[in-house]
Order: sequence, then structure tokens, then C-alpha cells
Amino acid sequence: MRKSTIPALLTLAFTLAACDTPRHDAVSQRDVDGNVHLCSSCHGITGRGVSPTFPILAGQQADYLEAQLHAFRDHSRADPHAHTYMWGMAAHLDDGAIKGLADYFSRQPAIPGPPVDEPTAAEAKAIFTNGIDARGVPACVGCHGEKAEGQSTIPRLAGQHRGYLADQLRLFRSNDRANETMHENALNLSDREIEALALYLSSL
Amino acid sequence: MSMSRPIIGLMLALLVGAFARPAAALPSYARQTGQECAACHNGFPELTPYGRLFKANGYVFPGATSSIPPVAAMVVNSFTHTQSPQVGGAAPGYGDNDNFAFEFASLFYGGAISTDLGIGAFIQTTYNHLSKRFSWDNTDIRWAHSSIVADREWVYGVSLNNNPSVTDLWNTTPAWRFPFQTSGLAPTAGTATLIEGGLAGSSLGASTYLFWDRLIYGEVGLYHTLSTRLSSTLGVDPTGSNSTSGPAFYWRLAVEPNWGRHSWEFGTFGLKASELPGRVSGFGTDDTTDIGLDTQYQFLAADYSFSLQASHIFETLTLNSTYGQGGSDKLHNSVASSHVKASVSYDQTYALTLGYFRVIGSADSGLYSGISANNSPNSAGITAEFDYTPFNHGGPGFWPWANIRFGLQYTGYLKFDGASQNYDGNGTNASANNTLYLFSWLAF
Repeated sequence: MRKSTIPALLTLAFTLAACDTPRHDAVSQRDVDGNVHLCSSCHGITGRGVSPTFPILAGQQADYLEAQLHAFRDHSRADPHAHTYMWGMAAHLDDGAIKGLADYFSRQPAIPGPPVDEPTAAEAKAIFTNGIDARGVPACVGCHGEKAEGQSTIPRLAGQHRGYLADQLRLFRSNDRANETMHENALNLSDREIEALALYLSSL
Repeated sequence: MSMSRPIIGLMLALLVGAFARPAAALPSYARQTGQECAACHNGFPELTPYGRLFKANGYVFPGATSSIPPVAAMVVNSFTHTQSPQVGGAAPGYGDNDNFAFEFASLFYGGAISTDLGIGAFIQTTYNHLSKRFSWDNTDIRWAHSSIVADREWVYGVSLNNNPSVTDLWNTTPAWRFPFQTSGLAPTAGTATLIEGGLAGSSLGASTYLFWDRLIYGEVGLYHTLSTRLSSTLGVDPTGSNSTSGPAFYWRLAVEPNWGRHSWEFGTFGLKASELPGRVSGFGTDDTTDIGLDTQYQFLAADYSFSLQASHIFETLTLNSTYGQGGSDKLHNSVASSHVKASVSYDQTYALTLGYFRVIGSADSGLYSGISANNSPNSAGITAEFDYTPFNHGGPGFWPWANIRFGLQYTGYLKFDGASQNYDGNGTNASANNTLYLFSWLAF
């Protein structure tokens, strides 16, 4: 029996130590720097990560970031990656931390994407600027701005990861990322047009 | 007997075995972070880039608001079929073949000890039902800190652990390499290099590491075997075990460029140790140097992934003590161990893996006569595995952190302990050990 008690006691001791640690209180009071470090695990240092699974946050609209973090926290944004990563990440953030993070990343300089000269980019530019009247697709520029810089709760699209943009448009189209306006806007976009738009916007 | 009865019986046994106990795998990390298993794992235990950072930062990343302590449990039940029966029983209390088994259960402490101090742990204790033994298992208690210097991230830390490479971030080094689950009721080839488990659980060590700019990782550590008394206390049978003479030195250097959804790691690792075989002094030491080269590539898309791991370990042995005691017929020997594995997965739920392994070394009638008729350590084979992990995106509502995996694995030997045919001198071929293994792995 003695053989079995030592490892069991070791586990119990660490368990009790953890119970005694006011972990979650401390987390909710973390300063912005600590949370930025956590965010940077996926979004990259200063909000410019390399993986298109995670959006570039640098230069994003503060109000948009704040709204999204609230949506992750209250689970109203429920696309697959939100569920995988962000519900947990946002759960411990209080309103002050959310505001601080949104402010921090919005102040990081936005970096223009790599230029593209593929023919589909020109086609996408036309959709971005003029929409597709025949299919009821409005011009993106109307809300997202002439340079796709966004405003308030409308996100910056310029320079965002191509893969992320395409994923989001498909999620809006399928309504897996619930947003009534964007669902209607994306509903009549083809896969090819989504890819072209993502390519074009990522280059701005 | 028709095929249908054993298959139905197997399914029932796996399900009953899995669900008869209150559920628990490292769900404690999921509870702490509030994230799905798939955030850190591309199929447990393979780590994603984020999972590597979670580990390097000391298992302390917060997230969710669960107040349940970071403990978890794991239970493995299985069915093992070998091509030829194992006369006398696969293990005490088990039949010659087609064995259902409750193999083992583990209890974990997995998560932060102090988030503010950056101290966290992965501590596993295991009850092995086949050997009826309770012991400590993989243990990694670490302190980590990160800072930004000149716009570059520096993550560094110290680990107290019991297995060289258990601290590693990639799934190419021995502690976390495929296959992640193997049958305890099937024959396994007799030779491996020292770093491939030779000090696992039988030693205690400390290592320090630095992960610079998420690009370059370096780690050095020193290990020493436990005393026989402490080893017994921790549930590790010291009978016939070696002891280190002076600290064993472990090193690791890896570079991992990341671009888009791709990550590619290449590096080296190794172990240098002097040991007293059987803890017998007076004959000098057996000196071992393991040098490993490894590479890992991962492509992680939204709903599917591909990963490839390869490693090659070259071991040189100078057997002063063993040779002096007549246990080997050569003073110098060498062993090389190679592993390659590729896997594809869909939705982090279905995964197919193919692996190849090979051990090749110098023949020695003293070292290998007990396992090989031609005194050779050479073995090789393939492993194919299909996994179904239904809860990687979240478990049942009443305990969403639970996870379960059903695995179907086949291992085919091309060579076993020295030869393809008649390797033991009694007419047994390597293929006699080919193993079909079905398992359920439950974590809660």
C-alpha cells in the first residue's frame, strides 16, 4: 500500500495547492500586458501572426475588437474557431480588460499586405467598389471604407490574412458566424468570388 | 467461431469498460483554458503551435472560470490479437491470444500551480492493471517566464521532470512520439536506445530551456537515476536496473519556421550517460551517447490537417562494465533507431496514421543472445492506426471536458529481434508478433 500512497499524496498536495490559489481572481485583474502576451500566442507579437487561422489584430478598429470579445465572452459569436479558441480566452476578461486589449491592438500599426496582380484581384476590386447589382451583393466599400480600413464596429479588412477573410465570408454565407447583414451580403457570392475578394483585400 | 461474435463482444467490452467508470484525459487543461482539446492538440498528444506555447509557458495560460482543481483521469481498455498465440499467456492472468483488458488508469495533475508565478505541471500517476502496479509516470513541473526584448519574444524556464524529452515541444522525441498507445499484451522488440525510455520514470532531472522568437528552442538538462528505495517507493521496480554514475546530460536544439498554416521543425537532441549496469561497481561504467536528428512538418487547416514526424537516433556504446563482467563480447557497440510517421485527420475527429520504425545495430552474442538467435538487435515494422475521437470539439453537456478515443491499430513486423524468420531459433518468424490492437481511451 505504501507504494501507492506516495504518488497519490503528491497529486493530492498539488491539488490542494491549486485550490488554495486565487487563480481566477488574479486572472481577472491582469493588466493588459499579461493578456496581450496570451493573445500573442496565436495572433502574434503586436497582433501580426503568421497563421491565417487567426486574424491579424494590429490596426483593427477598437470598437470592432471590443464587440467581438464581448461576443466571444457571451457566446453570441459561435463559429467553430470561436468555440475552439476564443470562448475560453474571453471568458476571464472583464470589461476593463476587453477595452484595454481592444485599445492596444487598434494602436498597433497596420501593415499593408503583399501586392497582387492576378486578374481575379481586378474582378474582386470591382465587387468591392460596386457590388454585384444583379445578385443583390452590395459594395463592400459602403461600410468598410474606400481603403477597407473599417470604422467603429465595422472591421478593417485591408491587409488581413487571405485565408481568414475567405473563411469568414464562407462562415457568413452559411450563417455559422451569425451576422444578419453579412449573411445576406455573402449569400450570393460564389466560392471563386470569395477567394478573389479575400486575395484582393489581403493585398491592400 | 464466426467473426461477428468477437467483434460485437469487443465493442460491448470497450463501451462498458469505458463508461462503467465515472469519466476523466487532460481535460484539466481544457477546463483551465476554456478551450477545446483541438486548440492545443492535432490529435492528442501531438501539439499544435499554440499547444507548444502553452507548454513552454508553463501550462499556466488561463481562460475559463471553472473552479474545479486541475486534476484529470484516464482509463484505457483494449483488445489484443497477435498473429500467433503467446504460449503460456500474454501476461499473468491472461490467455494466449485475443485478450480483452482493462490496461491502466492514470490520475493527472495538469495545469497551473500558480499562474502569477508562472508555475505549472503535468504530473501523471498510473495504475497498470496488467502488472498490478501503481507508479509515478510522466512528470514535468516547470516554472516559465516570457519577455519581449527588441521586439522578440523570449520564453524561458526550468523543469523538474523524470524522463529526458518529456519536456519537449515536438512529437519527434521519444517521450511523445507515435505510437502514443500500444498494447501491453503484445510482444515488443527487445532493443531501443537509452533515450527511448531508458531513464523514463527511473530518474529525476532538471532542465532549463529557452524558446526564442518562437523560432529557436534550446534545452539542456541533467538526470540521475533514483535510488532503489526511492524507485520502489514511486512504484518503479528497481530489480536489475542500472544506475547513472554522475549526471546524464540531455540536450535539445530545434528550429521551427512558421508560415501560413504550416510549421516545419528540424533539430537535434541527445543524451550522454555513464551507467553502472545492475548498479554493480568495480568494473568501470558503460558509456552511452545518443545523438538524435528530427524533423516535423504540420499543416493545420480549418477542418483537416496533415503532419509528418521523423527521427533518427544513433547510439554509441562503450561497455566497460558489461564487457568486463562478460556480458558482451565487444567493448564497443552501436544501435540506430529510426521512426517516421505521417497522419491525416479530418475535423480533429477522424485520423489515419502510417508509421515505420527500424532498429539496427551491431551484433553481440553477449548482449542479445537472450532475445535473438543470430545475436542481432535488428527489428523493423510498420504501424497503421485509425482513430475516432468524437469529443475533440467538446464532450457531453454534463462534462464537456471529457474526451474519448477509439483506436484501431495494426503493427506488422518485417524483422523482430534480429531476423525475419526463425529469429529465436525455435522457428518463430517476425510476423508471428504482428498485432491487431483495438483500444478505447477515456479522459475526464
